[in-house]
Amino acid sequence: MRVGIPRALLYYYYYPMWKVFFEELGAEAVISSQSTKGILAQGLKHAVDEVCLPVKLSFGHVLDLAGKVDYIFLPRIVSVEHRKYICPKFLGLPDMIRRLEGLPPLLDVEVDMYRKNWDLYQAIKETGSFFTNSRLKIWMAYHRSVQALHRYCRLLQLGLMPAEALAVLENKVKNEPLPYPADLNVAVIGHPYNIYDPYISMDLIRRLRAMGANVFTAEHIPEKILKSNASRLPKKLFWTLGQRMIGAAFHYLERPDVSGVVHVAAFACGPDSMTGELIERHARARRVPYLNLTLDEHTGEAGVVTRLEAFLDMVRWKKAGAVGI
Amino acid sequence: MKGYLGIDVGSVSTNLVFLNEGGIIREAIYLRTQGQPIATVQKGLKELADRLPSTVKVRGAGATGSGRHLTGVIVGADAVKNEITAHAVAASLLVPGVRTILEIGGQDSKIIILRNGVVADFAMNTVCAAGTGSFLDQQAARLNIPIESFGEIALQAESPVRIAGRCAVFAESDMIHKQQMGCGLPDILAGLCEALVRNYLNNTGKGKEILPPVVFQGGVAANVGMIKAFEKALGLPVQVPSYFDVMGAVGAALLAREAVARSGISRFKGFGVADTGFKAGSFECSGCANLCEVVEITEQENIIARWGDRCGKWSGAIGKEEKIS
Repeated sequence: MRVGIPRALLYYYYYPMWKVFFEELGAEAVISSQSTKGILAQGLKHAVDEVCLPVKLSFGHVLDLAGKVDYIFLPRIVSVEHRKYICPKFLGLPDMIRRLEGLPPLLDVEVDMYRKNWDLYQAIKETGSFFTNSRLKIWMAYHRSVQALHRYCRLLQLGLMPAEALAVLENKVKNEPLPYPADLNVAVIGHPYNIYDPYISMDLIRRLRAMGANVFTAEHIPEKILKSNASRLPKKLFWTLGQRMIGAAFHYLERPDVSGVVHVAAFACGPDSMTGELIERHARARRVPYLNLTLDEHTGEAGVVTRLEAFLDMVRWKKAGAVGI
Repeated sequence: MKGYLGIDVGSVSTNLVFLNEGGIIREAIYLRTQGQPIATVQKGLKELADRLPSTVKVRGAGATGSGRHLTGVIVGADAVKNEITAHAVAASLLVPGVRTILEIGGQDSKIIILRNGVVADFAMNTVCAAGTGSFLDQQAARLNIPIESFGEIALQAESPVRIAGRCAVFAESDMIHKQQMGCGLPDILAGLCEALVRNYLNNTGKGKEILPPVVFQGGVAANVGMIKAFEKALGLPVQVPSYFDVMGAVGAALLAREAVARSGISRFKGFGVADTGFKAGSFECSGCANLCEVVEITEQENIIARWGDRCGKWSGAIGKEEKIS
């Protein structure tokens, strides 16, 4: 049996776990192709108008899987931690996708850990029962999948990007520190599905590296540090991802080895407009160079390149302490 | 005479300047790009060569503006820099101690904040072009007044009317409404200037700390109505440098001087470039679903540059060290 996983949204956090879980149950995990103009165009065509760009893109990824798989794994992710929610658009995603035609059946179990973490197992049991009747087998598969997720998170905390960490997990490369000749470090703060998708982000991370900047993201920091930094806000943010972004931004704003912060927002993302503003105010108070990039379906690459170049010029001048003329 | 050449190829205008070694502007040329960047650069070079003494020696060349990469390969530029950096460099040379730069060009607007001679913050307008020169151009044409006298007429206003500046389309319908109510032309033009300034300060200048000295540059700074509207809104004197419309090119020349000081020799191909046959063409790559539009620049049948491909298949194929995307 082939289970399709769209290369979109929380794929960037949980794919290693999902993959191992399905494989342990004897299914094959198939991911959709890398994002392309064609996939985005399909998404734009079929998605409702109000959703944000990454959700539109996820429509394209689901459609890319049609005809290639027996099921599409599309959990209804309500909450992934105690007392925090995932964006409401994720909640409605299976229902929005369901009305598309020509799709294989969806595995749309509900993941809701708002009350207690253990509620996750309900979703695991439900998903597992599509493949086997053996409770033990499901438990073992769950156990191994969590191990895989921990390995993945450890690799990310070593400073790898998701694609690099996946390559290590799948034994495509040896686990070596990757040499990037960089003269400065910048933090890129944004939703994982925006900053790690090379198409949507206009290859932001590779471009920054090519311009001589080493890139840090929220995924490079342990959860505990993210949380303690985010709790410096007078009131907690509702959203898991927003809280991670705030926590990471506050952490990097105080790190003397990080010279600047780039906030990446998706067009039509409500939470981003809040987190962006909060981060900008803190960056200004600490006099750390800050750049806000908004990604949308129209932006030409030239606009992003110009802003990134100018931002790095600014960071380097500030470091040098004078205009280089 | 020895000196440095700076070229700024923007959406509306193409500017060339020649600086002598001391950084004094010897020649400045302002041309309309009219959608033909290559031909316009060649025309500008020819004109510049005619105006300069025949013994002139170009020690370095720099390119900036949205057409900088194209210009860079055509003339053989030593520095190819984004327009934010170029504007900041030029303003800090011509107006020492400048702390705020307001720049409004043909299709973009930017604000640059400098502190202690270093860029501390900047912003560019987003996808909306409501607060830029193109809009003024269009309205001037619609009202049948030459753009050159726009500002003068606006200055005669006694009580500027209030026009919604959020969106160029709505501003236009608002303006028509005011005309049909019988408001005078000077009052409408002054109201338009104030609306653009409001839009600029709320959009591009959102949250920025505007401190004097304030410099206003870019093509729109020719409009005295805009200068007055800025002074009224900010409550600060606004300076317009004498070379306000070619500041990008001045910055490019200064950056070229710096680049040549580091590299030792210039890559400038000489004024003969004006008579060389260049061709720019594009084709759609069908290698994957991205369908990238690849641009190809040929100089007398030799391909000298390619860009626009996301994967590097075409741009990498000619072994140029300068890749832009």
